[in-house]
Amino acid sequence: MAIATEPLTEIAVAEKRRGYWGTVGKRLTRDPVSMICAGMLGLIFLAAIFAPYLGLPDPYQGSMIRRLQPFGTAGHPLGTDELGRDMLSRLIHGGRLSLLIGILPVFNAFIIGTLLGVIAGYNGGWANSAIMRTIDVFYAFPSVLLAIAISGALGAGILNSIVSLTIVFIPPIARVAESVTTSVRNLDFVDAARASGAGAMTIMRVHVMGNVLGPIFVYATSLISVSMILAAGLSFLGLGTRPPQPEWGLMLNTLRTAIYVNPWLAALPGVMIFAVSIGFNLLSDGLRSAMDIRN
Amino acid sequence: MLVYLAKRLAYTVPIVFSVALVCFMLVHLSPGDPLISILPADASVELEQRLRIQYGFDRPLPVQFWIWISNALSGDLGASIANGRPVLSEVLQAVRNTLLLACTAAVLGFALGMFFGLVAGYFRDSWIDKLATSIAIAGVSVPHYWLGMVLVIIFSVQLNWLPAVGAGPGNWSWTWTHLQYLVLPAVTMAVIPMGIITRTVRALVGDILSNDFVDALRAKGLGEGRVFLHVIKNAAPTAIAVMGLQLGYLLGGSILIETVFSWPGTGFLLNTAIFQRDLPLLQGTILVLALFFVFLNLFVDMLQAMIDPRIKRG
Amino acid sequence: MHSLNTKTRALLGGCCLAMALALQTGVASAESVLRIGMTAGDIPRTLGQPDQGFEGNRFTGLTMYDALTQWDLSSAEDASVVIPGLATEWSVNEDDQTKWTFVLREGVTFHDGSPFDADAVVWNVQKVLDEDALHYDASQVGVTASRMPTLRSATKIDEYTVELTTSEPDSFLPINLTNLFMASPAKWQEFFDGASGDDTAKAAAAWDAFARDASGTGPWIMESFAPRERLELVKNDDYWDAGRVPNVDRLVLYPMPEANARTAALLSGQVDWIEAPAPDAIAQIESRGFVIHKNEAPHVWPWQFSRIEGSPWNDVNVRQAANLCIDREGMRDGLLAGLMAPATGAVEEGHPWRGDVTFNITFDPDEGRRLMEESGFSAENRLSVKALTSASGSGQMQPLPMNEYIQQALGECYFDVELEVLEWNTLFTNWRQGAKDPASLGAHSTNVTFATMDPFFALVRFLQSGMAAPVSNNWGYINEPLYDELVEKARRTFEPEARDAALAELHAASVNDAAFLYVAHDVSPRAMSPNVQNVIQPKSWFIDFSPISIEE
Repeated sequence: MAIATEPLTEIAVAEKRRGYWGTVGKRLTRDPVSMICAGMLGLIFLAAIFAPYLGLPDPYQGSMIRRLQPFGTAGHPLGTDELGRDMLSRLIHGGRLSLLIGILPVFNAFIIGTLLGVIAGYNGGWANSAIMRTIDVFYAFPSVLLAIAISGALGAGILNSIVSLTIVFIPPIARVAESVTTSVRNLDFVDAARASGAGAMTIMRVHVMGNVLGPIFVYATSLISVSMILAAGLSFLGLGTRPPQPEWGLMLNTLRTAIYVNPWLAALPGVMIFAVSIGFNLLSDGLRSAMDIRN
Repeated sequence: MLVYLAKRLAYTVPIVFSVALVCFMLVHLSPGDPLISILPADASVELEQRLRIQYGFDRPLPVQFWIWISNALSGDLGASIANGRPVLSEVLQAVRNTLLLACTAAVLGFALGMFFGLVAGYFRDSWIDKLATSIAIAGVSVPHYWLGMVLVIIFSVQLNWLPAVGAGPGNWSWTWTHLQYLVLPAVTMAVIPMGIITRTVRALVGDILSNDFVDALRAKGLGEGRVFLHVIKNAAPTAIAVMGLQLGYLLGGSILIETVFSWPGTGFLLNTAIFQRDLPLLQGTILVLALFFVFLNLFVDMLQAMIDPRIKRG
Repeated sequence: MHSLNTKTRALLGGCCLAMALALQTGVASAESVLRIGMTAGDIPRTLGQPDQGFEGNRFTGLTMYDALTQWDLSSAEDASVVIPGLATEWSVNEDDQTKWTFVLREGVTFHDGSPFDADAVVWNVQKVLDEDALHYDASQVGVTASRMPTLRSATKIDEYTVELTTSEPDSFLPINLTNLFMASPAKWQEFFDGASGDDTAKAAAAWDAFARDASGTGPWIMESFAPRERLELVKNDDYWDAGRVPNVDRLVLYPMPEANARTAALLSGQVDWIEAPAPDAIAQIESRGFVIHKNEAPHVWPWQFSRIEGSPWNDVNVRQAANLCIDREGMRDGLLAGLMAPATGAVEEGHPWRGDVTFNITFDPDEGRRLMEESGFSAENRLSVKALTSASGSGQMQPLPMNEYIQQALGECYFDVELEVLEWNTLFTNWRQGAKDPASLGAHSTNVTFATMDPFFALVRFLQSGMAAPVSNNWGYINEPLYDELVEKARRTFEPEARDAALAELHAASVNDAAFLYVAHDVSPRAMSPNVQNVIQPKSWFIDFSPISIEE
């Protein structure tokens, strides 16, 4: 699994002008693929958020005599899992943790990585070296290995997987932020602002951030898919959420022993991970081309 | 050019050292007792203390790091706590199996990715392009451990065509007896690089085709076949570089696939080491994999620098 | 590794190993092979003291090695008891009960041809207990010393007599000694002499080499070893017990930690025998004509009660009521698909430590409710208890469903059970910390399963007051003068039958007092192909591979 293999700085540094985001939004809504993805993701999110109010069976309530029931069982449209718990309810409730541990690390890394990258890129020199060289060290690990090593060190748990994935995603985001900032810093309008006596903080906040956030945001959205897969993967290895919490990766893990009894049931949680992952990927692609003013 | 190479090489030294430091810190700052794998919970406190001293876990961390790193420089990564065997030989044995899997997957992913990417880029916006792009996006979005499970369900459980798990009996050989074990994990593993290469190559082909010289070639009356060949020649170096990096990700990320298929590689080793808290084995495995990745990066950079003399980064 | 082995063997030209090999190549076509998938993630250590718990002893201890005493594995019905092994008889010194005399079996040789004698026994005690010995190996200490906590040293009396010394009088020593396997000092010395560096480096190298080319006295001889992949053993035609010379020519062991992987390997014919098949796959395994073997194992799945002040389990009525309210047969047939045996104590009827149990643990909820009412509880005035458990863990069987089952069953007897699910390692560590520790979260019981082969591990560490935290696993701080008295009595009774009688008294007293909520015994299931014949699965964690044959 790779992070940042495609050149991102090619996204032209957008000229800050009124209506830019409006245009992007308009172009995005005209893209049917993006809209379908957004709809699907919206549905999954809403279902996860309102899961307790949907009148679903208790996702923790098992029944020993109703284990591994097939699809279409009365009262259990998607069957039951290895402890006789309702699959549909667990899949929907599972979205709460899966989405949280998939998205939160990217969000955290977006904030921390952008800050680090902008500070490094704007100041250059000593600060740049200190930040970027440290980041290089973490960048020297393959992402999956790093996530697993950190999670393995911290131990299983939701918080620990969020921390470990955040650490994994900070370096690539910081790198993008740094290179975009460096290129923006040398542009004319920043020099002009500096000449007109604006302070470093103001310049950074208004001019640099305004021009840097867009590309990084697009990049971050493309990471969500990777993060979802990795987060569920950690749980799949037993390094993420713990039983009996419903979470897609962990469900895949515990259902694996059932592939000889009810194989397709065992594959179900993966469909959810796949759906969310591909949804975010396509949406991110759509956003990128909508923001690409050359088109 | 030479200056760039020298700089790039020199820069690798502190990186390698820092990577070793991070490995060590990760493994040692974590909670949990490193003696757990050899000491039953009912062992006496006195016995535990005795072993802690004998294994050197009572010493300050900087001292432990110094001992570890200086031994590592002479090729000695210590011995596994759980089984007493030298870590280096354990890791190299596992690396061999993982390399076998990762290289097969890389070749497969590269071949498919090149094919789909070229076709998609060449016939941009046609239905072929749409199909290839869809396959690519599915490839980069699929949770590969799940795909592995699905393939096992179809080809092992239901059709009974291929073995579900393991690397086959006895020592590896290039015969169907063993190759059949490689098929499912290698295909599963190839999916992500396939997607990434397809997308990269498609973009490259688009760029190349929009260049003036292509029009010039066509104007010169070159057949489309020759033009296509030209496109391949121009796209290949970048695709190879991307694939080189992908190989590194495959090696480091093989743990999920190796778990699904019980493949006896580094991921399997990592898993055992994590859950047994076998610190020497854990830090040794992570270090070897990370260093492999660092040197692969270095190699790819140098290769690119040699192929493309315009690069003057530093 | 292979080439190394070959070289070593060439050097040993003329020794019996090479001869055995030469013979074997001659009859290779008729060779019968038994291939087994183990649950371990790696081959258990092969140098004499295996890791991986009892599975290690089963596959790389008892196969290649012998101990001074051993378990009788010849019957599936009777309890497995300790019998003579490399020692033919033993006795304690009447004047100083910390000194034991062991008389060794004569005429036994190691696989390398060197003789087994008193020097070998002294050497093998030193390898884990004498820090000054050249061959002392810290990596073998943890798994060994904890299983023979009182053994201190050994001295040679004459060629076939040794004296063992313990730190205090301890009648359990002969049982403990089943865990001390006799490796060949001569073979080790050969590796040591061939190594280079200082003595520490040479010793380490010698143990590493020994692990790859081991030599014991057992019924199986190590032939080849690929770490994490497989271990091949061939039969020892010259085994000292002619009745236990293996039928099968070759035993191949594969580590297969994944239950699904083992199941697939069995179904596809890659192995003939797997340990612990995935429970959900058993129906399919049987439907394809494979055979499941199981038997009650020396193991208990309990709730271990807290007896600290304020714990509801301090009332004997409540403890007995809980024991009567669980339908263990129903649990076995429904929830666990036959993969458990109901527990009515730490050991069952027929075991020498069973004793005169008068509290009959059956499913009798009416009596349970009567006892609860006697203590003032009713449908209106229910008793709240908090129980610790884990979601997984070695030997824990299916902790969550089983605990939920108990939760429901006890609910019928005026209990309100709150389950607190901890991570396995946390629960296990807490076992030692005791019920008063904050990590126990104020729970009234814990749920760590345990093996019962040795009286210390089966009874003493839970029942003796001195075993409370942090010494050992008396988690609930049981402080019963009667137990302490009986433990002392058993420890100081050296005649084996009288010792067992004293242990039986202790066991009966604890069951009658409902010291635990006894729920289940594991049955250590294994699945094998129908052509594996003469499998006798004793009531033990171990199994004898010698009588097994393969029908073509």
